[in-house]
Amino acid sequence: MDKDKKLNVGIIGLGKMGILHTALVNMIPQAKLAALSDVNKQLAKYVDQAGLRAPFFSDLDKMLNEVPLDAVFICTPAFTNLAVVETCLKWNLDIFLEKPLAHTLEDAKKMTALAAAGKSIQATGYLFAHMSLFKKAKGLLDVGVIGRIHRFKSSTYTSEVFGKKKGWYYDKARSGGGAVINIASHLLYLLYWYFGRPETVFARAGRIYSEGVEDDATALMEYPEGVNGTMDVSWSVPGYRLPYMDLTIEGDNGTLELTNDYAKLYLYKAHKGYPKEWTTIHKIDMPVTSPFELGAEGLYEEDLDFISRSLDRKRPAVTWQDGLEVQRFIEAIYRSADRCKVISLNEVD
Amino acid sequence: MTLDKLMLGSNAFEGVSYLSRTQSLHYLEFFAKEDNIVPILEAASNVGVKTFVLSNCGNVMAAVHKFTKSNELTLLPVIPNAYEYAMEASEKGVLGAVLSKAKGFSMYQKVKLGLRALTKIKSVISKDVLDLLLELIHFEMASFEKYKLGGVFLHGQLTDLALSSHNPDILTIFQDLIRDSYGVEPMLATHNFGVLLPQLMEWKIKIPIMAPFNKKGFMMRPSQEECERLVNESGYTVIAKKILAGGRLTPEEAFPYIKGKKFESALIGIGSVPEAYHTFSVAKSVL
Repeated sequence: MDKDKKLNVGIIGLGKMGILHTALVNMIPQAKLAALSDVNKQLAKYVDQAGLRAPFFSDLDKMLNEVPLDAVFICTPAFTNLAVVETCLKWNLDIFLEKPLAHTLEDAKKMTALAAAGKSIQATGYLFAHMSLFKKAKGLLDVGVIGRIHRFKSSTYTSEVFGKKKGWYYDKARSGGGAVINIASHLLYLLYWYFGRPETVFARAGRIYSEGVEDDATALMEYPEGVNGTMDVSWSVPGYRLPYMDLTIEGDNGTLELTNDYAKLYLYKAHKGYPKEWTTIHKIDMPVTSPFELGAEGLYEEDLDFISRSLDRKRPAVTWQDGLEVQRFIEAIYRSADRCKVISLNEVD
Repeated sequence: MTLDKLMLGSNAFEGVSYLSRTQSLHYLEFFAKEDNIVPILEAASNVGVKTFVLSNCGNVMAAVHKFTKSNELTLLPVIPNAYEYAMEASEKGVLGAVLSKAKGFSMYQKVKLGLRALTKIKSVISKDVLDLLLELIHFEMASFEKYKLGGVFLHGQLTDLALSSHNPDILTIFQDLIRDSYGVEPMLATHNFGVLLPQLMEWKIKIPIMAPFNKKGFMMRPSQEECERLVNESGYTVIAKKILAGGRLTPEEAFPYIKGKKFESALIGIGSVPEAYHTFSVAKSVL
């Protein structure tokens, strides 16, 4: 890798996540913010007045024709992702795609297949992979601190929907779903990262306030070697300022409880340097892992990972294949909830 | 400018906890009632802490209104209330979230603002984005008009967003607006002190900064060492926050770290009346 090379980066879609990625790319020394794009022409004014020194385009093709780019961040609504990805892959661009890959498994499979046929680097935005506490917990599991895993229970809740809401985000045809695809997808990534693909899923989903999408869901998963797990999600629970995740894993040698704030071990026997009984690792005690932070912990690391891997042509932390596995997981939950039957993940195509 | 050495912060009153979900839920539930905030304002006041750094949150403003000695308080608002806008932005977009906030203003406030702001906000995307920021600030500031202000902080998310643009204009406009419209000192909150301060020096913007400083290095970017060096060498007015590292440090462990470093003030969030008396008394004995 040429240490002096800077990646020419374009941002496509200037919603909340697009603005955040724009800011972060602008703070990463190995990147140059080269162009910005959004279908809303009026956002040109925002780009100008926010002091962003990059040209704005409301026409994606025009941007790609006029600005030499190495990579793009795609932060558009999920239902538009396939078309945008197809366009960008024609230009052999490396692509960071905000999660979920798409609003449907079908689109996610198409874009993953397209990408696999080329040589571009692809990453997607499952943030937990870049958070120090979750990486620490992954390390604990990998070295077998709690022994052979029997089962786990997990949940993620937020206080977001307490009435009928409007917009593409709440329209299944465009968003792909509700609380599962938009809120639980981060947790589902974590479960995939820690435990791999489940064999089967049985799920129920409910609507409390929303008409077109689910507000909550519960899933029971079976894994190889007798491991069972549960996942519960709701975006309609009071008292959650921000999405909050809780995962408790039970093993032969104890338990590991993981939340956004801490990892708590209870061991029956001291193992791998961890004492018998309780050990709590607080997020607050973890070392600072990025020189800059905006929006959420891990976002800078996520963008830096993609940019670094684009420069050295290596595999990013979260690939589109990982994203496709999450999409398959989501699809299995929806199919199971719709049909009220157990779904085998290997049959979800 | 001179700031009080110790200040009370409103994070706990807004349900913020870095320790656990359990504590966050307790704060959310307990402080939803302004009557549970007032005794903490009273306790802080009793030990001489009469500067309150706060967001424009309903329960917090109601407590200030109810506190019988609010005329003795100096308020340092942190604006805009980015959390509320972020929560609404997914449904309504950023502009929609702002308009939703504006709808909550009383007729008196709208008349006082001459309806000017509402008109501007509705057309802002097609006209002038900076107008949006300015009117947003006016909207937020309307809640504080009855109280004595010691300065106004730009919310850390906006400071850091402005920093990332590598352009000083937004910060300059914020400074001018606060000085010209409210006659008080503009200040910046940040979670990126070690990146922000060198940039401000390069831009020749001298302004008080509030940032995390603690013995654990929690939220000190790019590093604890660099942040310490800058606070001691830069000559900037710096207000230390997150001194107790989100509750992982006791006051006895935390305040000696602050002592001897060139901080103007220390901001401390408090979750109960006993905690107020204990924490502020330790702070006073150490600093």
